[in-house]
Amino acid sequence: MINFTLSKEQEAFRDYAHQVAVEEMRPIALECDRTEQIPESFFWNMQKRFWAGSAAQARAQGAERQENVFSMLSQEEMAWGDAALSTAIPGPGLAAPPILSQGTPEQQKRFLSIYMDGQLHWGALALTEPGIGSDVAGMSTTAVLDGDEWVINGHKHYITNGARADLVVTFATVDKSMGRAGIRPFVVPKGTPGLIVGRIEQKMGLRASQTAELIYENCRIPKDNLLAGRQTSQSSGFKAAMGTLDATRPMVGALAVGIARAAHEAACRWVKEELPAGYPALRRREIEDELEEIGQEIQMARFLVWRAAWMADQRIPNSKEASMCKAYAGALVMKATAAAVRITAPGENDETRQFIQKWFRDAKVFDIFEGTAQIQRLIIARRLFPQVDIP
Amino acid sequence: MISFSPTEEQEEIRRLARSVASDELRPQARAAEKDGDIAAALMQTLTQTGLTTPFPEDYGGSGNIEAITYALIAEELGFGDGGLAMNVIGSMMGPLTVALAGNERQQSEYIVPFCGREGYKERGSLAFAERSGGYALADISATARREDRGYVINGTKRDVVHGAQSRPRVVLLRLEGTVGNAGLCAALLDDEALAGVHVRPETQKLGLQAAPSASYRFEHVMIPEAAMLGEPGNGGVVRAATLYLILRAGVACGMARAALEYAGKYAGERIAFGRPIVSYQGIAFMISEMAMKLDAARLLLWNAATHWDRGGADDALIHDAEAAHYQAVRIAKSATTDAVQILGGAGFMQDHPVEMWMRDAAAME
Repeated sequence: MINFTLSKEQEAFRDYAHQVAVEEMRPIALECDRTEQIPESFFWNMQKRFWAGSAAQARAQGAERQENVFSMLSQEEMAWGDAALSTAIPGPGLAAPPILSQGTPEQQKRFLSIYMDGQLHWGALALTEPGIGSDVAGMSTTAVLDGDEWVINGHKHYITNGARADLVVTFATVDKSMGRAGIRPFVVPKGTPGLIVGRIEQKMGLRASQTAELIYENCRIPKDNLLAGRQTSQSSGFKAAMGTLDATRPMVGALAVGIARAAHEAACRWVKEELPAGYPALRRREIEDELEEIGQEIQMARFLVWRAAWMADQRIPNSKEASMCKAYAGALVMKATAAAVRITAPGENDETRQFIQKWFRDAKVFDIFEGTAQIQRLIIARRLFPQVDIP
Repeated sequence: MISFSPTEEQEEIRRLARSVASDELRPQARAAEKDGDIAAALMQTLTQTGLTTPFPEDYGGSGNIEAITYALIAEELGFGDGGLAMNVIGSMMGPLTVALAGNERQQSEYIVPFCGREGYKERGSLAFAERSGGYALADISATARREDRGYVINGTKRDVVHGAQSRPRVVLLRLEGTVGNAGLCAALLDDEALAGVHVRPETQKLGLQAAPSASYRFEHVMIPEAAMLGEPGNGGVVRAATLYLILRAGVACGMARAALEYAGKYAGERIAFGRPIVSYQGIAFMISEMAMKLDAARLLLWNAATHWDRGGADDALIHDAEAAHYQAVRIAKSATTDAVQILGGAGFMQDHPVEMWMRDAAAME
């Protein structure tokens, strides 16, 4: 049955996440954006909050098995709070999907159990290289088997939490001539000799999020750090990479919705409270109509995100729907934040406008990372036309 | 709990509507456009499915309307042909408004004829949009002023499907001097009252020619008290108005889907520079965006429809219905325009339906 109403548990969970965003994230967001630093107290506070929250979620899920939908609810609130800070919340992060989908049960236990020990731990995913972004199959980072060890050489960048991650799931090729089929996921622990942290990037937005360069110089890891639980096909490694992106697309969509909503709320409030009384009525009406349209589109983006998440919960293949929600939300967050900047331009450069400008700077990357806007449209087209080769 | 799948029963109804749309509406679309109306035989076929009589069983209907189910049906009808879909939906809104806002006597008089053997010959109408506005309840400014033992009506209406010839002929009005939803009312205009109204059949329309329509101009037109549907300001009026927006949005989504499917098929087959044109990103991306925006608009529509089904007649429902209508018409316009573009020169010719669909979508404003 078609239903857009959240259950009581889902609403309570979302409200809890919203409170966390209000209390832990908004008060420090501007400062962290300015300094590109996050106080350690934030990590400990979030750890505590989310242990409590996850317990509640687990209880609620017994009833409904909508893990992905639950996750979208909290992601939206976290991004409403501050998207950069949300990427820094302790946890396995983007390292989890490949470990869960490609790791053996033993590997899953070995790698993921540290995240339950009550200390601060992060995870990272190293895919992108200076020479390849969208063209994942063309990667140059290599892995060569030498006795009981894999030796990794190469260069990854734009890795979220790359410098602080306890585990970096690194995609490397065992044979470049094999193209996609040669790509495999390897777990590289922090501090492994040969794993060198390079620069930390300075970015337009998501500035408080740590974006690192990692250099692999004869970096040796144990043989059984290759995630090889599903050796069913040659291309399983490549599929692990793509599968990770499929799983994270709705999450990225949810983050974009959170930022768009934050900007939209702020713009609406500014118009109501700050727009000078002498503003021409017609112009005011135009602005209100524009904000109304954006509000509708935020709702549409949210429903597309929920749909993709719901399909994942139902175990229905959702690659097209995942790409749709990310493509739509990415365009929408640009539209919403750009409109907020433009509409509030005449105002004082106060805290509200500082936030709006930050959200505008944060928004742009949502059409770029985790699959560019163009790649998303390509994926959608390929799913719509499976019988046609669309290069 | 969140869920996006129709029930088994809804899927069956949807399949039925889809087959009627593909087998009957689509092939007759150009002829209906030329004739400016639906063929009697087609209306009879449609009526026999039971899809066009969602009225209380007491009056012989198939049961009270469920907006989510009818959003699905409206989309299929719109997928078949926008003009014919609006012809059917526009007619249904007459008795539907009586069912939602009228008293028992009015319901009995005006709904029963639609449910009989000759029901397919009946037509109803609901006048919503005006010369001074569009499809928003706040835009309704035609007024009804209480006087003696009746009301005096002033104002305009446009794009009234079956406005020239229908029974019941219902008009959405605002009680003079009121602002907001509490002042909205709906009145019956029988042929007698119509004598005082300036009724003009709309000719030379841009699109939706298969849905004959009329405009009204009221200059101090008297109607008896009994012509008011229920009490003025009753919630049923808002429910009828929002239902119309929801059904129109369904038709618009169907029109967009028709364009998406037709242009997609063409792009998959048409060869240029040695390969299907859909393999070029310029075309592929247009289609991806069409599909994405349609899915988004449809979800907004389903949200409005399920909201309507929960009952009530408040601002939140009005907002959801108006948003769904706005976004659905928007995607209908852009998808049909893009479909013409994708077909290139052929799209401009009347051999293909896409130019008609583009005009139909534009006429939904």
